[in-house]
This record gives sequence, C-alpha cells and structure tokens, in this order.
Amino acid sequence: MNDGARATLQLELATLRPTRLALHLVGLLLAFTAVAPLFWMVSMSFKGANDIFGVNLVPDHPTLGNFLYVFTQVDFFRYLWNTFFVAASVTIVALFFHSMAGYALARLRFPGRDAIFLAMFATFLISQPVIIVPLFILARALHMLDSYAGLIVPSIFNAFGIFLLRQFYLAVPRELEEAAVIDGAGYFRVYWSIILPLSRPILSALAILFFLANWNSFLWPLTITSDQKLWMVQVAIASFRQQYNASWNYIMAASTVVALPTVVMFVIFQKRIIESIKTSGIK
Amino acid sequence: MTNQTKAGASIHRLGPSRRTVLVGAAAGATTLGFPYISRSYAAESLKFWQFYAPGGGVATQSKWFEDMVKSWNDSHDVKVELVYVPNNAYMDGTKLPTAFASGAGPDLFIISPGDFLRYYNGGVLLDLTPFMEEKAREDFFPGVIANRMVDNKIYGLPMEVEPMAMYYSVDAFNEAGLTEKDIPKTWEELLTVGKKLTNDKRFGVLFETAPGYYQNFTWYPFLWEGGGDIQTKEGKSAFNSPAAVQALKFWQDAVNMGVSPRKPLGGGGWDVVPNLASGYCAMQNVGIWAISQLREGAPNFKYGVFKLPTPPGGKYATVGGGWAFVANAKGKNPKAAGEFCAWALGSMSPDSIERVVDWCTKAKSDMPPRKSALEQGKDAYNKGFLKVFADDIYPGARAEPRVPPPVYKAISDAIQACQLNGQKPEEAAAAASQQIDAFLAGYKGAPIL
Amino acid sequence: MVNDALRSDASAIPAARKAAGFRLSNRQREWIAGYLFVAPDALGLLIFVGAPMLLSLSLGFFSVSGFGAYSFVGLANYRRMLADPLFWQSLRVTVLYIVMLVPALYASGLGLALLIQADTRFNGFVRTLLFMPQTVSLVVVALVWQVLLIDKIGVLNRFTSAVGLGSVSWLGDPHFALIAVVVVSIWFLMGFYMLIFLGGLQDIPKEYYEAAKIDGAGPVASFYLITLPLLRPTSFFVLLVSTVTAVCGSQTFDLVYVMTRGGPANTTSLAIFYVYQQAFLFNEYGYAAAMASVLVVVLMLITVLLFMLTRGGRFTYE
Repeated sequence: MNDGARATLQLELATLRPTRLALHLVGLLLAFTAVAPLFWMVSMSFKGANDIFGVNLVPDHPTLGNFLYVFTQVDFFRYLWNTFFVAASVTIVALFFHSMAGYALARLRFPGRDAIFLAMFATFLISQPVIIVPLFILARALHMLDSYAGLIVPSIFNAFGIFLLRQFYLAVPRELEEAAVIDGAGYFRVYWSIILPLSRPILSALAILFFLANWNSFLWPLTITSDQKLWMVQVAIASFRQQYNASWNYIMAASTVVALPTVVMFVIFQKRIIESIKTSGIK
Repeated sequence: MTNQTKAGASIHRLGPSRRTVLVGAAAGATTLGFPYISRSYAAESLKFWQFYAPGGGVATQSKWFEDMVKSWNDSHDVKVELVYVPNNAYMDGTKLPTAFASGAGPDLFIISPGDFLRYYNGGVLLDLTPFMEEKAREDFFPGVIANRMVDNKIYGLPMEVEPMAMYYSVDAFNEAGLTEKDIPKTWEELLTVGKKLTNDKRFGVLFETAPGYYQNFTWYPFLWEGGGDIQTKEGKSAFNSPAAVQALKFWQDAVNMGVSPRKPLGGGGWDVVPNLASGYCAMQNVGIWAISQLREGAPNFKYGVFKLPTPPGGKYATVGGGWAFVANAKGKNPKAAGEFCAWALGSMSPDSIERVVDWCTKAKSDMPPRKSALEQGKDAYNKGFLKVFADDIYPGARAEPRVPPPVYKAISDAIQACQLNGQKPEEAAAAASQQIDAFLAGYKGAPIL
Repeated sequence: MVNDALRSDASAIPAARKAAGFRLSNRQREWIAGYLFVAPDALGLLIFVGAPMLLSLSLGFFSVSGFGAYSFVGLANYRRMLADPLFWQSLRVTVLYIVMLVPALYASGLGLALLIQADTRFNGFVRTLLFMPQTVSLVVVALVWQVLLIDKIGVLNRFTSAVGLGSVSWLGDPHFALIAVVVVSIWFLMGFYMLIFLGGLQDIPKEYYEAAKIDGAGPVASFYLITLPLLRPTSFFVLLVSTVTAVCGSQTFDLVYVMTRGGPANTTSLAIFYVYQQAFLFNEYGYAAAMASVLVVVLMLITVLLFMLTRGGRFTYE
C-alpha cells in the first residue's frame, strides 16, 4: 500500500470511528435485549425444582442434576437423533423441490403458471390445526402412522419456501440463463449449474429456517406418532409436564440442550448468506 | 374365456393378498425406505390412552398403570396396551379430538367431568353398568359417581376425587404475626388476612386467573356456598342470582384490593411449588394434589391446609375433581373394554379395591371414590394432611359439574370479566345467565349436573 | 423473440432431435420443463395441504359432532358467526395485533439487517445473538417472559417500581396483555425477518453503492435511493408473510396459548385462537371451519390485491 492510500485509509478510520463505534454499541445493545431473557432459561436449567422461580439470576446451589436426569432417565439421545434425521431430511428435500418450483414459476413460461402459483400460495393461508383432521385421515390411509415417512413427507410441502424463492429468482438478471440457453443447455442443466450456485445466500437462509421449523415442530409429530420410540424433542419435553405438576427445571434443561443445534446451524450458514456472490455484477 | 374364469377365480382366492399387494405398493410409493415403514396395525389389543404411563413423569403413577395392565394381560385373552400422551396435549390438545373425528378413537381412555357431556352426547361412551355388580355400583359415593351417570346408568368409573382447599405458608404467617388462630373462616377474613400478608414481594392469596375449565372448576364452590347453582331443577339457568353475584364479586375484590395477583407463576393456579412455595403468595387456592407436589418439589416447605371459607349466611362447600376410566362404545371391542374398566376400578374383588387405595394413597394423594377404599385405606387417611382432607374438607365436597362448552364459556367469560376486567358482577351474571338460557332452550343432550 | 432467433440457430441438440424425427418446439420444451419443475411441489401441496384444506373448509356448511355425525346446515354456521360477539371480538383483537406487529417486524427486521450486514466477525457474533430467540421453543419463551413480566416481582416491574413508575400486571391486565403479547412476538420473530432481509440485501449489487458514493451520496441518501427501491421484492414478501403469519400462523397461536390462553377477559383471543377453541375444545368443527374459511378468504383478497398492485411480485428494473 503506498503512502497516499495509507493516508486515505487512516483518514477514513479516524472519521468513521465514532459512528462505527456508535453503531457497534447499538448492535450490542439490541443483541443483549434479544439474548437477556434466555439467560433465565439457562439459569433455570441449573436450579433445583424448589428454587427455580426464585428471583435470583445466578443459582444459589447450581446443579447438573437436571441435565443428568434428562439424558439418563429419558431416552433423550434417541429423540435428538429422530429430530435431527427428520429435520435434515425435510430441509434437503424441501430446498431442492422449492428451488425448482420457484425457478420455474419465476422464469419459465408455461400456460397456467401464475394460476398454479396463486393456488400454491393459497395453501399458505391456512393454519395447521385447521387441516389436521383430514391430514391425519389421509396419512393414516397412506399407512404413514408411526413412521419416519409420516413425520417427513407432509412436512416438506409448504408454500413459504416457494414464495420466497420465486421472489428471489424474479430479481435475478436474465442474462446469465440466456447465455446458457443460447449455448444449448437444457433447462435442468441451467438450473443445476447456474441457478443453484447463484441461490446460495437464499438457500442458506432457508436451510436455517426449514431446519429450525422442523426441529421445533410439535403438533404434527404428536399427531402422527403414538410410539414413543419415534418421538421428537418437543414432544419429549412436553412429557415433563403432568396434570398438576410441571418439572420446569427439566423442561428448561432439555430446552437449553435442544436450542444448541439450531444455534450451530445458524452460525454455520449465516456466513454463506452474507457472502455476496460476485457474479451479481455480470461480466 | 378360460383365462377370464381363471383370472376371476384367482382373484377370489387371492383376495387378501391382492389387497396386501396394493397396500404394499402404496406404502412403497409413499415412503422412503426407512425403518418403521408400514405398521400392520395390531388389531387385537385394546389401546388405552392416558397421560401417566408408560414413562410418565411420576414413577409411582406410571408403575400403577403398568402393574394393572400386566395383571389384566396375564389373566385375559384380549390384551390392553398403554399409550402415553403428554398431559397438556391430552387435555387441551388436538390428539384426542383428531383421533375421534377420524374414527380412530382409543378403545379405553380417561376423561374429566368437564369432558363428559361432549363424549356422551357424541355417543362414544359405553354403558358400564352391565359389567358391574350391584354392590360395586353402590360402593361409589353417590356424589362422586353422579356426574358420570345418565338415567341411572354408569358411563365412567372415577379413579380419584381431588377436592379443592386453601393452603398457607407457615413462615409467611409468622412474619406477619399471625398464628393458626388467624386462619380465615369467612370470605371477609380471608381478604383481611390476605391484606396483612401482602407486601411488596408477595401477594396474600392466589386464585386461578387463566381462563379455562380449571378456573371455572375452582370458582364453583364459591357459587355453591352462597346457595347458588348453574341450573334450576326445571332446566333453566339459575345463574342470575345473588349467590353468583357475590361469588363473582369476591374474586373481583381480591384482585382489586391488590391481595390477589392477576397472573400466577409457573403453569397456573394449580402449580403450587412456583407460587406458594416460592413465596409469590402466602395462601393459595389449590387442590389435594399439592400435598404430593410439595413433597417432591419443596420438601422443606412448611405449610398448612384449611377448608374454603364461607360467605355470610353461607354453607361450606368444595368441589371435587378427578378423572374416570371410560370405554369407547365405537371401539373395536367395546365389550372387552367395558370389562376392563369394571375389573380395574369397579369390582368388589379385593384386588380392585386395593388398586383404588394404592392409587389414592401411594401413587397420588387423593381421596378415594369408593367407600370400601376409604375404609381400607384408613391408615393413610388418619395421618398428616390427608387427615385434614378426610375429616374437614372432603365432607361437603360436590362433584365437578359437567357443563357443555357453551355453558362453560358463558360462565368463564363472566368470571374473567369480573375478576380481571372490572365489570359489575350483576351485569356479568345476568349476561351469562341469558346465554345459558339461550343454549338450554335448544339443548337436547344428557342433563347437566 | 431474440432468444428464439438465437436458439434456432443453435447447436447439435435441436439438430439431433430433428434428425430423430422427434421435434419439440422450444416453447414446448419450456412448457415441459416448467411443469416438471413444478410437479413435485404442486403434487405434494395438493395432496398434503390443498385437499385437506378444501375438505376442512367445506365443513363450514355442515354441523359436525366430531364423532362421525355430519349434517348439512347450509349457511347456518355463517349466520351464527355474524351474531357471535366473541367472533367479532377476536377479529378486533386480530386487527389490533396485525396493526401493531407487522410494521414493527418490518422495521426491526430491516433495521437489524442493515445494522449487521457487513461481513465482519463482530457482526457475525451479533447476528447469532439476534437470531437466538428463534431457536427456543415457545414453551420456553412463555416461561422466561413470565419471569420478566410477572406482577410485582417480575424483572420489569421491579425496575419500574425502582424508578418510581409503579408496577403493572403485563399479562393479567386487559389493557396491557395484548401489548405484552405483541412485544414478545416481536422479540421472538425479529431474527426471522432479519434473516430474510439479509438475504434480500445481498441482491443489491455493491457497484450501485460505490457509484453513489462517488457521486457524493451519504448513507441516508443511499438508503432511500438505492436500498429501499431495490428491496421492494423483499419488502413485498415480508409484508405479506408477516400479515399472513399474524392472522393464521402457528407460532402466533402457540404464543397466545401458552402465555395467556386468550385471556384476560378475551383480550388476547386472536381469531385463530378462537377457531382452535371451537374446533378442539368445544367440538364445533363445522363452526370453526366456517370461521377459518372467512379468514382464508380475507387473506386471499389481501394477497390478490397486493399481487395485482405489484404485477405479480415482479419488480424487475431491466
């Protein structure tokens, strides 16, 4: 770096520092408000049943007993595995299906395209409890009760991802695909070699969101399974509540453990969202 | 021609296997080749849905169910299989309604009085009377079994009775300079004592504030103590009465005076460890289950129990909740299911009575629904707080009313409006009464009790 | 047009197809590709959501006992709905909820994304913290916020008492309960919308910002002239999705259910909560279906309107 450039850089740093610092502080403050309530979750996981609602944030007698109970008295590793398997499967298949559909709805021209999209979007306007009875009957008819298939397959289909991806692909400049199509590439080649890599930021964001939604899902797993061996973690955590007694300490400990994998997912994928794909400025 | 006949004949012969092929194809097409692909649904065993076992939160309760089912399975051909549903999902969730709505309801399950009419009017409850001997039927306390009976036929067998009472913190009393002599006997005393116990870290007395069947359940005794009721003998609403108004006003005053919190801690007013034991409140309106809850969750907490106070000119009453075994009349083997219920809880044989005693005194701390069980368990009922319940609180207990949802909602809205929204009790009672009358005019189901 | 001309001159593949005697026009190829790409999702949605949805909503014309008894009642459920004060109360609560929540989520999602969009390690750390509320289940959310908001001894009340503002029952007072639910909803959901906006911000080519800086535009001007306009697709998406979620999202329902059960005095009884009550606590599936279909129709109207206004969500600038 020559002297002129270094001088410019130093000048930039000097003038930017106060605003940058202020913004950093604001960011930290907001992050603190986001995370502060969760301090109580962690705090409660280390408290015994009798002082879990005590006003102190730091436990008087911290204990690992809750975590020990959750992992030894309950088949929690199994439930974690079940949940991971289901959430990962749904995420991978959904990303694949939804990006194909979103691309086609945004870029390809075929009769009825917009009508199909609106119909798909209409399915987003309904709430799960409303459709749960017919869905249960259907799943039972397809012999999906008490099975991984029953947990995975219905959870894949949700219009949110299609909508988001279509929106994203609408904004992608056409020149890239047109160049490929001129070269005679088939549509699937275009999709696989050009569109997919281009969508890395949005697919990373969706990977996090799909994984999270399926990791913490409760209603459908509860409905479709009666076999405890197939339980997912939120159903298992619900079993810590009895009719007139709730083991809040176990619930908090289990929930702390359950929150960690999704935080890890986020840390891994959030960087990919930020990586700006240099091809956005098409050469 | 020959081919056709042959094909036709082979189709007839292959009837079931052709279906299996189709089922297999469907399963294969729709599943992803993972374990637990296609379950051949074991059609023989009866499924018993409840929120205790196997693997429920309290080991003794889970074991009681498992022992009972094992004992039945060892001596009967038709087996019973326990299916555990987490409590919250069982009570307020979609799992049971979904199962019933799709025609796949469980063969055996448990219900609370609040649910009784919903299931009975839907034609789902099996009449258990034919499976019980006369002596057994009379062994149940009439007040307890009344709300599971229609036309003198029994449709549910109660496992337990859970009366409501008032609990207080000994330390809180001592701090405020109060002793056992100051235990309130009237509503006014309760509020006065509550005020003395209220400070900037604590409330005097806690009542349930979240809307729901439970809140209604805890409020009914205050209606009854003033001589009020939900329905007259002629089937019209009795809710627009001074008794209802004063009961609504009582809870309103408690909140307005700052003596009662607007929101309990933990799961709600039924959760005694986060509220009473943590020091959030000094007195709590909670049921008999608090004894075992405090034993587990706050073993060093010093507390006392007293019966619900009465209004001026009123008579003591309390409400007794408790769940009952029922059999699905539309299940795959209602006869066996009915036999199971009667065998488990409603038989005069010693093991049946013993089972009830074990449930009420060892697995839980509840009052028994049967005279013989009360007699047989008298050792347990002569000690400690169970003695207080047996002597003071239980006599005077009325069974939880079984109200249809619109009536429940009308009363719930009235309680909520008065307790939390400052509405005039007279107006709230009148409005609720109107709604109840409107509903009763078109109601054609079993009588509300 | 240009494309077609270019393509018809193209390479071996169309020629090979011609040679084989099997000729698909480019348009037909596009059609087939389109349908094939859309097929898995279309089929899946049809089977697992569309069909159950149509079945459920059609129950609005029936009286259903929940135990197998169905009787056709025409418009009776809808007439009952119009006369039901609780239905109108639920609609009122829902509208209030939307009006408070949607702008707040938009502003917080966008604000947070802008704040931490630069690719630095510090920002990565802050981003993770901001997203953490999304990673915990709603049971936990309800419980930790209860500790913060409970009467008298809750953290917030101890703070306001200490500074002389007295204390309030955030969850038990009809005047404050809905606000409390909105605040918790924002806290819980802002990470989600931050993520969406982060994805959308990446769409905007950096060259535009550089060009603006060269022209002397400050950060505020860049925001109004570059960021906001180019964020229109994402904004459209966020507004639509947050509105739909506010009306019928599962997490909205779950949050109300665990925190207030629709109380105090029905002041947090959102429409979706009332639908749930009718269906699963009161066994009135037909009535619940009628209400749900009204909600779907209203949302559909909003959707169609927004799509028409934005030409199908197309915000192309080429």
